[in-house]
Amino acid sequence: MNFALNDDHILLRDTAQAFLRKEVDLQPLLMPGATVREAGYDRLWPKLVELGWPSLVVPEAYGGLGMSMVDLALIVKECGRFLAPSPLFGTLAGSWALMAAGSEAQKQAWLPVIAEGGATFALAAASREGSYDPVGRTVLAVTQADGVRLDGSSGFVVDATVADHFVVAANHEGRERFFLVDRHAAGMTIEPLAWRDPTRHVAHLHFNATPGEPLEIDAADTWPWIRDRLSLMLAAESAGGLQEVLDDTVEYAKERVAFGRPIGAYQAIKHDLADMLAQSECASTAVLYAAWALSDSPDEARVAAAMAQSYASDAYREATHRSIQIFGAIGFTWEMKNHLYYKRARCNAELLGPPTAHRERLLRALEDRAGGDASTRPDARP
Amino acid sequence: MDFSLPAEDDPRRLEVREWLASHPDRSYRDLYERGYAVPHWPRPWGLDAGPEQQIIVDDELARAGVRAPHHRNPVPINNCGQSLLRFGTPEQQQRFLPPALACEEIWCMLFSEPSAGSDVGALRTTAVRQGDHYVIRGQKMWTSLADKAEIGVLVARTDPSVPKHAGLSQFLVDMKSPGITIRPIIDMTGEASEYNEVFFDNVIVPAERLLGQEGDGWKICMQQLQTERVALSRPGVIWGSGPSARELLEGLMASGRLADPALRDEAARLYIEGEILRLLAFRSLSDRMNARTAGPEGAVRKMVAAPHGQRVLDLAKRSQGVAGMVKDRRVLPVSKAERGPYSNWDHAYWWSPAVTLGVGTQEILKNVVAERILGLPRDKDPTRHTPWAQLAPGAVPAPAAEGGRA
Repeated sequence: MNFALNDDHILLRDTAQAFLRKEVDLQPLLMPGATVREAGYDRLWPKLVELGWPSLVVPEAYGGLGMSMVDLALIVKECGRFLAPSPLFGTLAGSWALMAAGSEAQKQAWLPVIAEGGATFALAAASREGSYDPVGRTVLAVTQADGVRLDGSSGFVVDATVADHFVVAANHEGRERFFLVDRHAAGMTIEPLAWRDPTRHVAHLHFNATPGEPLEIDAADTWPWIRDRLSLMLAAESAGGLQEVLDDTVEYAKERVAFGRPIGAYQAIKHDLADMLAQSECASTAVLYAAWALSDSPDEARVAAAMAQSYASDAYREATHRSIQIFGAIGFTWEMKNHLYYKRARCNAELLGPPTAHRERLLRALEDRAGGDASTRPDARP
Repeated sequence: MDFSLPAEDDPRRLEVREWLASHPDRSYRDLYERGYAVPHWPRPWGLDAGPEQQIIVDDELARAGVRAPHHRNPVPINNCGQSLLRFGTPEQQQRFLPPALACEEIWCMLFSEPSAGSDVGALRTTAVRQGDHYVIRGQKMWTSLADKAEIGVLVARTDPSVPKHAGLSQFLVDMKSPGITIRPIIDMTGEASEYNEVFFDNVIVPAERLLGQEGDGWKICMQQLQTERVALSRPGVIWGSGPSARELLEGLMASGRLADPALRDEAARLYIEGEILRLLAFRSLSDRMNARTAGPEGAVRKMVAAPHGQRVLDLAKRSQGVAGMVKDRRVLPVSKAERGPYSNWDHAYWWSPAVTLGVGTQEILKNVVAERILGLPRDKDPTRHTPWAQLAPGAVPAPAAEGGRA
């Protein structure tokens, strides 16, 4: 038992933080009329590739670093702290889908390419309406003489606008299945969305007799495994962003003077910030626990990932709103960073289903575990 | 990073379990002599135990159905006893610690006063040196266990010529001394009284009962209020006692009330918060194991835990609907493990407003977190630097009315 980060973790975290602090520039987004096109995906990604981040989760057997989920969570948390605009989310999502559902040949073909930064991915698992239940239900896959063709639409695909390849969930002869689809495949339309968070590309995908290569294993069996990892990623982003918002807001409350004292001297403000710190500590703790469980304790992983995502996204939303309140009216302007965090927080809370859906999944897991008999717990004698 | 706890067959666990099994008639003195009263203290009092071994001892005592020594005699074990290791004379240690750790002499803490709660440094009880003893006059309030205690840890003002925090001293007082009057405070539950008022009417305390030096009182108090024994196996909602959010969820499942959509999501939120609080406790523990400076988790955890506990109890109560407005302990099933009076969900609910008042109000706790951890400016205290005796009337609490014990 040791819940603390070791020296390697701390070095990894601090290195990632120093790098991103230097490289991420949100300034272009704070100009009037800026959109995600100004976010700087293109500037940052080659540098992340140099650092080997696309290879973090790829097993060593496929040319990756095969690092633990704790290592990954620490890095993603720093990405969240700086809202680092890059196709890391989509690429990791694609990697996990390949790892979970791909055949040995498919893994051999793609994972080494991803690991060396030779291809970016996006995972299209939601329906046109954004539902994951079941995955891919608004895309129909039909086997024809020359292979499988996809028809229909996937909704809210993170990083689709910039990805080279997609993993698309579809209904294939009554089964949920993943398909590899090339960005330039026939009948493929990418519809970029006016997504409110301008640090992230999100698009709908439309398929019209689009060729797709089926992954070997059913999506129904692998989606929960992938979803738990994506939940951790979003939760880690949220926990990192929350820490940054807290730090910024505390700094501001020490500098901004009103009625002769820094506003952070007033209890209305300092108590809000104390609450924010508490939620930040809680979110980071839930994230680390989920990361550890995903690597080391699969029995606890599902519940831990749901806890982390629902808690961290709620806390992040609340904190980014409070931050705007404490900054006062200036925090409501486009030129300040506050709204970028507010929007990231808001969108992170919806991307994989709302926090209530994660909590419902948690409750069902606990109900299954209890098996209708809560009295099996070992009790001490009275 | 490793979130797994000491295993069921950990040899350290088996050793404790075996000893407990082979000593079915053990007394609290036996537990103390074995080192199980304060495993985290240095020898000869404890076992120099690390956090894992502390968890093991706590777990195994609970498993054996033993009411933990730190619940039976919390003041010396959780808060004040360690001050004797640091500030006490060898004579004081020998006189006071063995009977306290063996739970043979119960202690109480005489800190708060009618007009000095959050601002305890403004206390008015005086201790005046006369030859080889001190004479104590004043009134204490909100004293748990005063009626059962042999020994009281008293903070009193010994020097009014210096600012308020500098003039305080601590004493170990015999609670049976002439001139001490104890009256129960009837709290809003109307049930068994937890707290007392304690009146000191020219009580004589020998000078060798002074802890440390005159003027050390505030420093010692602060350490005592911050010494929080790790009681991990007891994540209950009333300061660690009573049911936990896990039991709320289990109870709602067992009673079928979890199916109510109006309760369901809130129950899940509380469960998650409870699990995170558990993890925060383990993180504090890991910091100690790694001899890192303790992070903010301790103060933060308390700040989260108190309102969390209130919400857990509130949801349990709401799950009953109007039937919950009748005094009746059958709210939800509860574990049979020994948890004292708060294992009664109904009593715990009506008690719960106390949780954000006792052991530091929620507002003071937030100040501490904001000022000491986030480095925000301190609240103003215009009385902080002025000699106590020179403070203008009105700047300090009015003296308790004579005959206030009528």
